[in-house]
Amino acid sequence: MPLIDMPDFAPAILEEFAGRNTTRVDTPVIQPAEPFLDMAGEDLRRRIFLTENERGESLCLRPEFTIPVCLRHIETVTGTPKRYAYLGEVFRQRREGANEFYQAGLEDLGDTDAATADARIVADALACLHRVLPGRAFAVTIGDQAVFEAVVAALGLPSGWQRRLVRAFGQTDVLEAIIARLAKPEPVAGLSPEVEGLLEAGDDAALARHLHDEMERTGYLTNASRAPEEIVRRLKEKRLLAGASLDAAKLDALKEFLSINVSLRYAPGVLADFARSAGLPLDAAIAGFDARVAALSAAGASLADITWRAAFGRPLDYYTGLVFEVTVRGEHDVLVGGGRYDRMLTLLGAKEHIPAVGFSMWLDRIQKAKEGAAIRKVEAGFRTESPRKSGELR
Amino acid sequence: MTITIGLPSKGRMKEDASAIFERAGMKIVAVGNDRSYRGRVEGFDDVEIAFLSASEISREIGNGTVDFGVTGEDLIREGLSEADRRVEIAARLGFGHADVVVAVPDIWLDVETMADLGDVAAEFRARHGRRLAIATKYWRLTQQHFSSQHGIQLYRIVESLGATEGAPAAGQADIIVDITSTGSTLKANHLKVLSDGVILRSEACLVRARKPEHEGNATVAKIVEAVRGVV
Repeated sequence: MPLIDMPDFAPAILEEFAGRNTTRVDTPVIQPAEPFLDMAGEDLRRRIFLTENERGESLCLRPEFTIPVCLRHIETVTGTPKRYAYLGEVFRQRREGANEFYQAGLEDLGDTDAATADARIVADALACLHRVLPGRAFAVTIGDQAVFEAVVAALGLPSGWQRRLVRAFGQTDVLEAIIARLAKPEPVAGLSPEVEGLLEAGDDAALARHLHDEMERTGYLTNASRAPEEIVRRLKEKRLLAGASLDAAKLDALKEFLSINVSLRYAPGVLADFARSAGLPLDAAIAGFDARVAALSAAGASLADITWRAAFGRPLDYYTGLVFEVTVRGEHDVLVGGGRYDRMLTLLGAKEHIPAVGFSMWLDRIQKAKEGAAIRKVEAGFRTESPRKSGELR
Repeated sequence: MTITIGLPSKGRMKEDASAIFERAGMKIVAVGNDRSYRGRVEGFDDVEIAFLSASEISREIGNGTVDFGVTGEDLIREGLSEADRRVEIAARLGFGHADVVVAVPDIWLDVETMADLGDVAAEFRARHGRRLAIATKYWRLTQQHFSSQHGIQLYRIVESLGATEGAPAAGQADIIVDITSTGSTLKANHLKVLSDGVILRSEACLVRARKPEHEGNATVAKIVEAVRGVV
């Protein structure tokens, strides 16, 4: 039975939020679609409910809260730090489960102490879960975009390759394909002798002029899309990339890193050992990682219930550090998804940089977990199927 | 049970499709006058012909209102979600060849592959304050190729229902996904196809709606066999 009415444990969650120094916000159900498509990409289009108004503007039913909450924060010019709480219906086209369901969550904006804010948000999420699913044990999986970026940087690849790897973080297939390609060079072909000559001579200005003239000649607007200078810059970078490859030892180090899957109790040691044995300078990233572990410990989280999976990430360019998911221990349903999205607010138009971390709770899955617990009492061996999918906003 | 075949209602596609059926021993005659949108097949009393526009044919096969149709594979794969579950390509007919391709301006000397395009798309927002814009009428095929196959998420589709090749020069979009048969229109608009930018090699196909009542139906089997025998 899909959850159409507000779940009866919603007031408990709101009470928990209220006790955690938050401001409750609501947002209209009908939202402009642009910001969602802009942030999450076109793939989202087939997973949301789209419509148009009379003026042809795309509107959608709210598919999540983070973007509307952040937009509202920017519009209202409220200062930071600020902690927002929400609870309401969201609408998505899903193969399994209902198309409308409830989510609740927190968005913690503007705290510059990332480790403390990260730990606090994880502790907040766990406290809410303990409140609505009393007596259950939870498993938290965390990932860290910043550590992966540091590993990639330390391998000494050209920046173009680094960006490709970073972009693929969290998409196992794509990442594997890129790593496989890193083993062999990728020559640049098909350039005219004139362009080759200008590249050899290193005369960027002349090459840009040549491209500019070509655009004029072929009737292309020179200011509408990529500028000649941008093409020249990337052409040069690509010639550098062509020659770059990773030696076997570094490839192995990268693969070894991505296979790390360890309890947070041992994670700092494992990460330090990895850096030492691979000979990679990761001090800053390790310091950030260790500070978060310490903060989690100080916030009262049980490190034994948290696992660090080095390959866990979300392939959206606004995620910058921590990502996490919470399940009932031994189950697959993700009840809470969250992470740090320091780049989002500036992408949405904020004037200044606003660090941000937050989470969303899937109330329909929590309801199922509650019912599952009740059913399990009478029917041993009952298991719920897993609705976990890649590419979800959270 | 009457079996309905949807055929293109005009143009080369109509002529080529009729020619194939005639070679297969299924001569199509219009009911009433030449302009009629209904037809029948000589010697096949339980088959009727519905002349439809090409894009409607894919939709009608998808929802099962016609049993067979002749249409381009591009329209099937673009028009139907889970196309392979809903329809079967019974025969490739050898005409109406065209490729759905990703094409970028010739002047993008640094972009030869989808991986290059991924680099450009990732940086686009930071450089231009907007996402890379793709002009196309192929929403579904574009999303599958970019998002699922190449892991490129950050782009926007600008719907283009005609003269798509002109969009980059005019500044309406940065690149295009479009259908091309000879490549001459692309060339005339100073566009090039990426080396791994062919999304689909399409041609006209005899497509069957997957309907349970087709199981064991002699006419259905006969139509498939007759057409396969001449292509």
